[in-house]
Amino acid sequence: MRFDTVIIGGGLAGLTAGISLQEAGRSTAIVSTGQNALHFFSGSFESLEEAPERIVGLFARAGIPLHYSPGVRLMPLGTFRPAALSLDDVSLLDQPKFARKVLIVNFQDYQDFFSSFLADGLRHQGIACRIVTPGHLADPSMRVRAGELRSVQIARTMDKFWEKAVQEIRILLKDEDAVILPQVFGLEDPTIPGRIRAGIPARVIFVGTLPPSVPGTRTQRLLKRRYEALGGTYLAGDKVLQARVEGGRVRNVTTRNLGGHILEADHFILATGGYFSKGLKSNPFRVYEPVFGLDVRQEADRSKWYDADFQAEQPYMAFGVETDAALHPLRDGQPLGNLYAVGSVLGATRPELGSGAGLALRSALAAVDQILSPLDL
Amino acid sequence: MKFQAYTVSKYNFDECMKCTVCSVYCPVLQVNPLYPGPKQAGPDGERLRLKDPYFFNYALKYCLNCKRCEVACPSGVDVAGLIQAARIKYGQDRPTLRDRLLASTDLMGTLARPVAHVVNGLTGLRVTRAAMEAALQIDHRRVFPKYSGRSFESWLRRQAHAQAAYKDQVAYFHGCYVNYNYPQLGKDLVKVLNALGVGVQLLDKEKCCGIAYITNGMSDIARKNARHNVSVLEEAVHGRGLKVLTTSSTCSLTLRDEYPALLGVDNTGVRASILIASRYIYERLEAGAQLRFKPGFRKRVAYHTPCHMEKLGWGVFSERLLRRIPGVEFTLLDSACCGIAGTYGFKSENYEASQAIGVPLFEQIRAVDPEVVACDCETCKWQIEMSTGYSVEHPISILAQAIED
Amino acid sequence: MDAREFDVIIIGGGITGAGTQRDCAMRGLRTLLIERSDIATGATGRNHGMLHSGARYAVSDPESAAECIRENRILRQIAAHCIEETDGLFVTLPEDDPHYQATFVDACRRAGIRAEVIDPAQARRLEPSVNPALTGAVRVPDGAVDPFRLCAANMLDAKIRGGQVRLHVDVTGFIREGDALVGVHTRNRLTGEKVDYFAPVIVNAAGIWGHGIAALAGVDIKMYPAKGALLIFAHRVNQMVINRCRMPSNADILAPGDTVCIVGTTSTRIPYKNLFNVAVTPEEVDLLITEGAKLAPSLASTRILRAFAGVRPLVSADDDPTGRSISRGIVCLDHEERDGLKGFITITGGKLMTYRLMAERATDLVCRKLGVDKPCTTATTPLPGSEERSYEAVAQRIWEAPSTAQKAAASRLGTDAARLRDDRAGTALVCECEEVSVSEIDNAIERLDVSTLTDLRRRTRVGMGTCQGGFCACRAAGMLARAHGDTDKARKDLRNFMTERWKGNFPIGWGDTLREAEYTQWVYKHVLGL
Repeated sequence: MRFDTVIIGGGLAGLTAGISLQEAGRSTAIVSTGQNALHFFSGSFESLEEAPERIVGLFARAGIPLHYSPGVRLMPLGTFRPAALSLDDVSLLDQPKFARKVLIVNFQDYQDFFSSFLADGLRHQGIACRIVTPGHLADPSMRVRAGELRSVQIARTMDKFWEKAVQEIRILLKDEDAVILPQVFGLEDPTIPGRIRAGIPARVIFVGTLPPSVPGTRTQRLLKRRYEALGGTYLAGDKVLQARVEGGRVRNVTTRNLGGHILEADHFILATGGYFSKGLKSNPFRVYEPVFGLDVRQEADRSKWYDADFQAEQPYMAFGVETDAALHPLRDGQPLGNLYAVGSVLGATRPELGSGAGLALRSALAAVDQILSPLDL
Repeated sequence: MKFQAYTVSKYNFDECMKCTVCSVYCPVLQVNPLYPGPKQAGPDGERLRLKDPYFFNYALKYCLNCKRCEVACPSGVDVAGLIQAARIKYGQDRPTLRDRLLASTDLMGTLARPVAHVVNGLTGLRVTRAAMEAALQIDHRRVFPKYSGRSFESWLRRQAHAQAAYKDQVAYFHGCYVNYNYPQLGKDLVKVLNALGVGVQLLDKEKCCGIAYITNGMSDIARKNARHNVSVLEEAVHGRGLKVLTTSSTCSLTLRDEYPALLGVDNTGVRASILIASRYIYERLEAGAQLRFKPGFRKRVAYHTPCHMEKLGWGVFSERLLRRIPGVEFTLLDSACCGIAGTYGFKSENYEASQAIGVPLFEQIRAVDPEVVACDCETCKWQIEMSTGYSVEHPISILAQAIED
Repeated sequence: MDAREFDVIIIGGGITGAGTQRDCAMRGLRTLLIERSDIATGATGRNHGMLHSGARYAVSDPESAAECIRENRILRQIAAHCIEETDGLFVTLPEDDPHYQATFVDACRRAGIRAEVIDPAQARRLEPSVNPALTGAVRVPDGAVDPFRLCAANMLDAKIRGGQVRLHVDVTGFIREGDALVGVHTRNRLTGEKVDYFAPVIVNAAGIWGHGIAALAGVDIKMYPAKGALLIFAHRVNQMVINRCRMPSNADILAPGDTVCIVGTTSTRIPYKNLFNVAVTPEEVDLLITEGAKLAPSLASTRILRAFAGVRPLVSADDDPTGRSISRGIVCLDHEERDGLKGFITITGGKLMTYRLMAERATDLVCRKLGVDKPCTTATTPLPGSEERSYEAVAQRIWEAPSTAQKAAASRLGTDAARLRDDRAGTALVCECEEVSVSEIDNAIERLDVSTLTDLRRRTRVGMGTCQGGFCACRAAGMLARAHGDTDKARKDLRNFMTERWKGNFPIGWGDTLREAEYTQWVYKHVLGL
């Protein structure tokens, strides 16, 4: 099959690039080895301090409302982090003391939402808290499930029963001026968090849970649906096994599922992610990029990959694919002219591009701009 | 090799990061509270089972082997393979008479075919269905596939001479469904291939691919079938130099992937030659072959990617083939499980779960309201037709209708 | 009676201390056990977790070997829920001296250890992971033992019999009356609280730290810390213990244990001052993998979960630099006889396998000093949880159709699993890798002296699975915060716990371990906001 651009990696960076190119009338395919880090998305696009209209528009057309307001957000362990551009689920706060008294609502037996840490964190800000775990919020089918109870299971139930939950919370609410709920609403329907806010006569703050992230999972699904609706070919669960490079350009790639049916394109985008997503792989001797064998910036001495402090910046996280200024990755020191590296495969942070979701979006759009620019041909 | 240059584990279970994305996409976990979910049943459970087979959990039988966990897994763990392998290795439940009957798709076909009208009449009767429920725990609400009076094999055998006249030749693994229940699909394939200048040959007595034996705890029979099938495939591929086409996504997956992974039957000599027909036809068209389409053909088609097609990664071929047909108005449905999973949904204990799993798909079909739903899986067809009232056809059949006779 | 007065104070919460407390309690003494950290934090918990048959010592130390096999048989009777009867192989590889096997088998038989010579083909059938190049094999009654569980069960039994336990408490000094010790000054490391306790006999069972405890009492014991590094693999590769049939050396044991297997060890003398900070070096890791793969070749390509090191407390006067030729025999010192200091006993030497015998000797001496005449019954009385031999029988008796988590609980708690709550809240999983439920955590918090997440890990296996605490640690931290009513402390504890887990991960931080680390560090920082 022949495309204008083949994108390797179907996460935030790959889908952003794919949607932008499809919107510009280009034909693309995304090869995605399993699901991706969007499932662990906090809901805030870190390191995107400015409000990029282009990103807001792209997401809006996919049915994902974003909002922008520089401030802080409340983290699941009761701390605060700066945030600006976020999914609608995330409440952007002007200041950590955002309320006088807060009602924290959790589901019975749900271990992945940390009410006591939240309450403790808020008390440090001078906010009084009351924690409730009403036993009858859920539907009867949830009651018998033993074992693992994760965000998404609750969210599926809440997709059906959220209105009942709202009624329940209205009854529970006394003199609190804010309510904190776990992010388990609107797995299918992105409008549910907004409707919950409208239905409760207090400020409603949704706070993250242990992964998988419900807003992140929904975002992945909506972006993929948008991409496919634009005519993009999303090859789920497939994997690039081999790439043919000639004269400093990528000619085609071979995938596991399509076998002899090679994918040809004018441009290729490498959006395979970091270590978790196997965009970067490692063994005791080196960190390497498995698809093209690109040059990876790293420390040769394994003992220098780590900081013994769990919370410190870890040196290995800064390792990533070497590129020229135009994001063309280097192989044996030479750039591959029609290949672009975007997202976490570049390393956790890059000057000018930021880190995390910000890095993914900025680098993806930078690659798209070059592909769409006639100068590149 | 340098030590730890890479690591390996059976079905890659050591690569599990416990991220739980598999559970997000598991259709069973959403509806059956007794199922521990793919992560627990798969990689988590495997570490315990390696300690002591006693840790095997009977609830693994609720896995319907749709493989959506594998498509979703960011780590490349063969989650469903791990679960099915554990069932084969540790499962002690003896298959019931019901399971044996349901699994024996080929035997049932052989027995039913000569008296098809009687069987079809019987399985349609409310009283028969109630009796089947009582005696066999086959759900009375389930609509049974009809048996055909004449097998596809005998039809094609009579055609052998005509088929041999074509310049290019392929072999066709028709599977039990085409042979006993719905020979029309096989005939449609022959029509399309003939129009492309390709003749169709039978394998030298194929047997059931065996998937229903695997999922019903009869892997010994499945293994026997697999060995037989690999030998007849080898005869076709290496003896006659043919590609082997299939029309069933599940048969394809079983022949290509489950034989080595679950049954330990080596198929390396033939694996790359087993192709789903839509892929073969798409590639012929890409290479410049022409089909003469009926000028006035119009159809609104919604394509459903069956689970095993999703796993094979070949839905793209059926999709593109359908999009190529002039007059087809195409919608790609969100890839989701219909709930039937072969014989799974026929069992009384699974009926409710099976129907509940399909709800999002059924709702989307109703919303799109197509003239026909296209899909490459026979059991999806039964489920969607029974549950939505929309008619379901194989992409090859739609293509056959669209081309000149 | 003053709540701070006891018949005997035992210093050290390793297996020797716990065993001694149990024995003393069973003989009717009022006991107090004081531990500076948590149970089994020293040599007790930092080894292969192997139920030695004694075969390993048969050639070099026949006396230890004979002790070992006797205790091996006893532990099978009294500690069923802490041990697993796997048997072990001593394999001869082409590079090993082929004559050693005969010497070895002969020595085993003289020590009373069943040693059955089997041919290599049979060894490969019995243990498919074994190096297929082996030229000989001997089957011996080795097994697996969970040292944390064993230690906790001894302490629990002592508590059931009225004993008291103070964990995270330092002994800061001794109280003297003339030429006798009569009590200890202590300070709680978590709360800073200072308390004095009194008893006519004080037992120093502090393992390698016993050197310092003795110094505090003004007596001198020479101990040589020998560091041993080990690797834990992410799943069980082998079902039987695999040993090299040669004189003990580096990385010559691969032992299965619960859901993992462990290869080790190295042996390096370290200065006493480095005791609190033993890190595994890249050289040790490389050596362990290279040598380990000779036992089971698949280790070369199996995911490694952790690296850790322990310190052997060797008591000796000789100057063998490796520390290996030193007898591991039991040393029970009556300081009244040795140093003229009354009321003070040191029990040391020995090993995990002979803890019960060590406890018996120490308790005999305690009783002699107190004029108590009661026989030792620890060899015949099962530990709490071990009243039934198989966890299968336990699970089947408690639950009609036990889930995997319930089966796992029965394998960890034995008959005590009957105490677990069966309701929906109780059966919710905290640790999914090891299948540890809420009620198991509750049980540990309630009965097993848990202050921190690390304490909880030793008693329940929370955080010991492949995610290394990534998911369960914050859940468990939430439960501890509620149980102790101190969220600030729980948050700090969570941070310490993750750092402790990371300490064992980064020395083997590549491949899937690095993937897991990136994921965990990202989730804790950007998703949870630790």
